Amino acid sequence: MIAVEHLTKEYRVHRREPGLRAALRSLVRRSMETVRAVDDVTFEVGAGERVGFLGPNGAGKTTTLKVLSGLLHPTSGKVTVAGEVPKERSTSFLKQITLVMGQKQQLLWDLPPSETFLLNRAIYDIPRAVYDETVDELTKLLGLGPLLGKPTRQLSLGERMKCELAVALLHRPRVLFLDEPTIGLDVSMQATVRSFVRAYNERFSATVLLTSHYMDDVAELCPRVLVIDHGRVIFDGALGELVKRIRPDKRVLLRLSRPVQRRDLEALGTIVEHGEEAVVLQVSHGQLQSSVQRALTQLPLRDLTVEDPPLEEVMRELFARGAKAEERALPATGVARGAEHTDGAA
Amino acid sequence: MAVKAYPALLRTGFAAAVAYRAEFLIWMFSTNMPLIMLALWAAVARNGPVGPYTQRGFVAYYLATLLVRLMSGAWVVWELTMEIRQGTLALRLLRPLHPLVAYSAENLAALPLRGVIALPVVGILLWSARAHLGHDPFLWAIFPVAMLGAWLLTFLVMAIIGTLALFLESATSLFEAWLGISAVLSGYLIPLDLFPHAVQRVALVLPFRFLLSFPVELILGKPARGDALLLLAAQWGYVLLFLAVLSAVWRAGLRRYAAYGG
Amino acid sequence: MKRLFAIVRAQLRASAALALQYRVEFVVEGALAVLWVGVTLIPILVVFGRTQVLAGWSFPEMLLVLGWFVALKGFLEGAVSPSLMNVIEHVRKGTLDFILLKPADAQLLVSIAKIEPWRVVDLAGALLIFVYAFHALGRVPSALDVAASLAMLVAALLVLYSISILVVSIAFIAVRVDNLLYLFQSVFDVARWPSTIFRGALAVVFTYLLPLALMTTYPALALLGKLTPATAFGSLLGTVAFAAFARLAWRASIGRYTSASS
Repeated sequence: MIAVEHLTKEYRVHRREPGLRAALRSLVRRSMETVRAVDDVTFEVGAGERVGFLGPNGAGKTTTLKVLSGLLHPTSGKVTVAGEVPKERSTSFLKQITLVMGQKQQLLWDLPPSETFLLNRAIYDIPRAVYDETVDELTKLLGLGPLLGKPTRQLSLGERMKCELAVALLHRPRVLFLDEPTIGLDVSMQATVRSFVRAYNERFSATVLLTSHYMDDVAELCPRVLVIDHGRVIFDGALGELVKRIRPDKRVLLRLSRPVQRRDLEALGTIVEHGEEAVVLQVSHGQLQSSVQRALTQLPLRDLTVEDPPLEEVMRELFARGAKAEERALPATGVARGAEHTDGAA
Repeated sequence: MAVKAYPALLRTGFAAAVAYRAEFLIWMFSTNMPLIMLALWAAVARNGPVGPYTQRGFVAYYLATLLVRLMSGAWVVWELTMEIRQGTLALRLLRPLHPLVAYSAENLAALPLRGVIALPVVGILLWSARAHLGHDPFLWAIFPVAMLGAWLLTFLVMAIIGTLALFLESATSLFEAWLGISAVLSGYLIPLDLFPHAVQRVALVLPFRFLLSFPVELILGKPARGDALLLLAAQWGYVLLFLAVLSAVWRAGLRRYAAYGG
Repeated sequence: MKRLFAIVRAQLRASAALALQYRVEFVVEGALAVLWVGVTLIPILVVFGRTQVLAGWSFPEMLLVLGWFVALKGFLEGAVSPSLMNVIEHVRKGTLDFILLKPADAQLLVSIAKIEPWRVVDLAGALLIFVYAFHALGRVPSALDVAASLAMLVAALLVLYSISILVVSIAFIAVRVDNLLYLFQSVFDVARWPSTIFRGALAVVFTYLLPLALMTTYPALALLGKLTPATAFGSLLGTVAFAAFARLAWRASIGRYTSASS
């Protein structure tokens, strides 16, 4: 469904210092800098897959998504989505995709969402019968009933997001690009969005590409992740694989029936948390078995759990490693990596 | 306390004006109505003077009008209504500085910039119509006071209407109505002494005149000394009146704002 | 084609619904529109209180130019400007992407996004002015004259629209000068007067460079039966060429936006 080959996206930014003198200088001579937002990225996504893009801010996730949707032209490389070249922005292509951007909305602010629905219906040329059916299904799936008639500005953030999702899917696109869709939402609304996306994907076999820096989004929704940092793909595979590869350490949670001294615990592994009743240890894979055995025999335990470290930590470790490698290998050219810019930067 | 903060406010206001210089320039160039009116009257006066104005006289009048308008301009009504609508007025109210004082500082801080843009106008005025400018040094002496009064009146009216946005949804529409009426009665579109007598008599006592026409009259050296002083007193009488109105409206507005949580 | 009409109808419906949201504002804006028509007429009334002919135009003939001005201004401020200012808002908020992702021409979608229906008062006002003018002239324009003037009107509308598209295309690249559109609106005021008012350099500018004066002068001449076919066809051709140029500029801007931004 989606094929990306050696995609690179660079753009030139005009760097300017604040102040009157610099402003005058910039009139005469502009200092330009090339930023490489996406650096030789290659991957493929099959129809009906759900893939997550993980990465810190400025990694190139949103840029990649915008190239895939045709909003940006690649600097080099080949991109195909649903058999078409995105940057051509043909009508048939545009009718098959949708882009949802968290914090930005296409719903008309002063009018009820239903008005935007009608507008989109005309623009996407959706036949009456299909439109009615889709609206019904979306209303049911998202619980939109009372919301559609109220002006958008009167809806809460979560309600607005639900309506945004609905309007984005009115034309039943085959490919969904979701750019940070859960940002700013409360926990229950995040869960709603996730379950809805999953339901839509299963019902319509739509391909979903999701960017997020909320690990839970990715963990719950995406069997496959692409990790992007500084414009490069540093991992492509199942999330479990990623965790194993990065942090072979496990977390051992101990519930104690009485307090235990630090030195007794240090022998088993690195102490992450040390409380009177609960202790968290970090233990490497190799040491795991022996540490667990010793804990079970030597410590006054009420309970023992072994689990993977939280995703956030895994990612942090991953990016920290990446940053260190960068510092060592940075070439002396004027090419800066990463840095996602806000739209319309002048 | 506000007095101590004022210089700092002026400094930041100036920095802001420089940062927004492109917008500023455009705003100033959009003040071109006097020139358009000049084109009209210059055509009329081609064949002979109209009332007391020859072609050169009209040039003097409208360039002076442009000058006064550029220097007494304010935009506080837009700032105020936007802040009220977006709810950010609450932030200003939390600071130990009266919002209106802050706005006035921002406005005054832009004066140097406005001056720079107004300079060419002054230049052209002096070069093409010097003969029509006033020669009485006494009138020139009170001119800055009249300019200050004109700026104050403009600012105060805008502040009053802006404050009304705490009560009304359509305060901006009220302001547009004010703009329309004042365009006619302040001498902006047409010199007041070209109106029919009945209209003139009314226009000469209304506050609109003191926003614009009065300083222009001083530039053109029209009033006699005694009259000029009387007019100056009238202008500042209006200033005090509007100040009182603003104070009352502001207090009432804040009470309402606090009651409704903004 | 049918789809195009469906889109236009849907978009107009949305912007009308938007405008009708605030009913009080609707009435207020309508009243303001009436006020502005009045304010527009006053200078002419004063001028023709003192003279019979101005730059070759009699009072009723001048009224025709003014009538067209009112109509065009209503169109500019009621349809073109609000919609295109909206584009600039989109660029600022980052939501232009949504428009570019729609399977419909972006220029079409943005051009009718926001319409202020109360400006139809301007059209009514223009009509009344025409009726009065011809009553004063003591005759009625021939069908051919009316047709010719409508053709000139369409040309004028197209030129106005194209200039605005050009301005917005510039704003894409340099977002800070988005109030260039606002500047254009005020420059448009030169179209109040017939082009013969302007002499010398100004005449050249406003006849050839930025043919604003012609936008109201030509339809007025057509109504009076004074427009030569050569001039009419020439201006139509020029208009079409200009519109094509504006479209190219828009496409270039969008192209640059998509390839140069992040």
